[in-house]
Amino acid sequence: MSTKPKGLGRTILQYIPVLLIVALFFFPLFWMFSTSFKQRVDWYAVPPRILSFTPTLQNYDQLLSIAIVPLQVLIDPATGQPKINKLTNEPQLQRPSQVLPSDEYRELTRFNLFGQWYLVGTKSEFLRFIFNSIVISLATTVFSIIMACLTAYGFSRFPPRRSDNILFWILSLRMLPPVAVIVPYFFMFQAFGMLDKHLTLILVYSVFNISFGVWLLKGFFDEISPELEEAAMMDGYGPWAVFRKVALPLVVPGIATVAVFNIIQSTNEFLLAFVLTQNVATTGPVALTKFLPPTGIDWGGISAAATLLVAPVVVFTILVRNQLIRGMSFGQLR
Amino acid sequence: MAETTAPFASAAPVPAAESRFERQIWWFPRILLIPTIVYLFVMTVFPLLYSLFISLFRTETGRPPVWIGLENYGKVLSGGEFWYAIGITLVLTVVAVTLEVLFGVGIALLLNQRLRGMGLFRLLVYLPMMVSPLVIGYFWRYMFDGTFGIINWVINSTIGGLLQLDPPQWLIDPVLAAIAIIVVDVWQWTPFVALLAAAGLNTIPPALYEAATLDRASRWMQFRRITLPFLVTPLLVAILFRSIDTIKIFDSVYILTGGGPGDYTATLSVLDYKVGFTYFRVGEAAAFSWLIVILINIVTTVILRLITRSRRARLYTA
Repeated sequence: MSTKPKGLGRTILQYIPVLLIVALFFFPLFWMFSTSFKQRVDWYAVPPRILSFTPTLQNYDQLLSIAIVPLQVLIDPATGQPKINKLTNEPQLQRPSQVLPSDEYRELTRFNLFGQWYLVGTKSEFLRFIFNSIVISLATTVFSIIMACLTAYGFSRFPPRRSDNILFWILSLRMLPPVAVIVPYFFMFQAFGMLDKHLTLILVYSVFNISFGVWLLKGFFDEISPELEEAAMMDGYGPWAVFRKVALPLVVPGIATVAVFNIIQSTNEFLLAFVLTQNVATTGPVALTKFLPPTGIDWGGISAAATLLVAPVVVFTILVRNQLIRGMSFGQLR
Repeated sequence: MAETTAPFASAAPVPAAESRFERQIWWFPRILLIPTIVYLFVMTVFPLLYSLFISLFRTETGRPPVWIGLENYGKVLSGGEFWYAIGITLVLTVVAVTLEVLFGVGIALLLNQRLRGMGLFRLLVYLPMMVSPLVIGYFWRYMFDGTFGIINWVINSTIGGLLQLDPPQWLIDPVLAAIAIIVVDVWQWTPFVALLAAAGLNTIPPALYEAATLDRASRWMQFRRITLPFLVTPLLVAILFRSIDTIKIFDSVYILTGGGPGDYTATLSVLDYKVGFTYFRVGEAAAFSWLIVILINIVTTVILRLITRSRRARLYTA
């Protein structure tokens, strides 16, 4: 703003409030990151140990490593059916035999080796939930980008009658509170046997992401100069070829922005995933709620899990930093 | 809107390809638009209508649903909980959004200076709004803890220690719990307001400030007459998005307080969730959610009116 030459003192004075603000907004994220490397004693330390603690990878190790579950196969005297005893505490092993991979968990009954203890390795649940999050957000992103590209181009080039009203309706989906639809969604998907399925969450998340993509990409399509497409049409391109070969390559930056925002949105979503999944399709954020055991919260585990969830978001934010305004305002500002 | 049809309209009179092209034109826009519109309709309008249908029944576990007309709406509207939830939600929204706008403008002005490393600083400040509100709820809950939380440590070692105060029990005392929710919302979303405000600042032509400096306008006058008018539209957009999102707030409240203590901090979404999925009074929850939709519609309409009015005002003055 000012053109006056600045002295060193003035520069320092300018930096102090900026650094204070940065510290204020960044500290909680840093605190979570550092807690994820702390041992149990350091979680509860007063005064808090900001840097003076012995870092440990134990929280990540517990979160990601393979758990060994001891199992005992017995014959249920009442029914004559084989029954699997699962002990969560460290048991007195009688005859620990070999460690079996978890896939063979159910196969155990076929071995006819009842009454013995087995150690069965189960994969880290958290990794599975993270994997669910990745699968769901990628599938959502691909599906909603395809739909949004087509529709945004349609609205940009062939606005139908009352297109403003339809566009406003699509924008208003952003305002729809998730609680307003969870009850009907729950019963609809229950009726189709689709609770706890990846596809369900993909379909649900796509609604929001398509409306976002249509608004953002329409702006990008509107910016393409009509002469380019006219020229292509003169050369004998059909409408599909014009869209595919002329318009689409020009909005790749827009598509990238939409993709990143879609991934972040779908990875962060909690309420719908919480209600519509039980275990099979549970996502990362929902997995975090499983860290609330009756006795004492595992803050190290939560911090480690949270760090793993936040890390990709940080990377993606860096990627789209120049498109943040356009993305966050639904294409309303740029 | 009319100009955007130009490319194909002006391309139509190519004589040789006309008939084939017309035919292609007929199906092409429909292929582009209809699948998405149908999909969005099925996924939003249908569930809302279905929810309206559910809201007309009394549903109890183990019994067939009974048609009771509008009784669920009467039950929700006559219960004190709903009005309390509206009250607490609106209070949270008004306080949080006001603070976010004030801090957001200040931070946008601070971060708009030309300083070395400002790109990195901006990025660090903008990070919170990209993080899952659920994750944020968790680690703020850790920081707000009454005995080992870092916030109480800071308070005890400064003001609290001097005045010999008891450490505040943030998530247990009803008023402090509401304040905690506001703090978390402000922390996460002030960057969003700052981002939009910064966008507004970037549209101000520097010549305006130069002219104002020549006219010896004071700093405050410059802010009041140049900066603020350019901030009105982005700030209204920010207020629109923030108000809607804060009325809908669920994730961070659910983790921070779970609506507690009692139902003191149960916002509309949290209470609706409890009615539907903790008490399983599904019909009532559906009626409840319709009332939330109506409330959000009212708020949106009011703010949108303000936005169009400010845009029109901008057009006349420009």
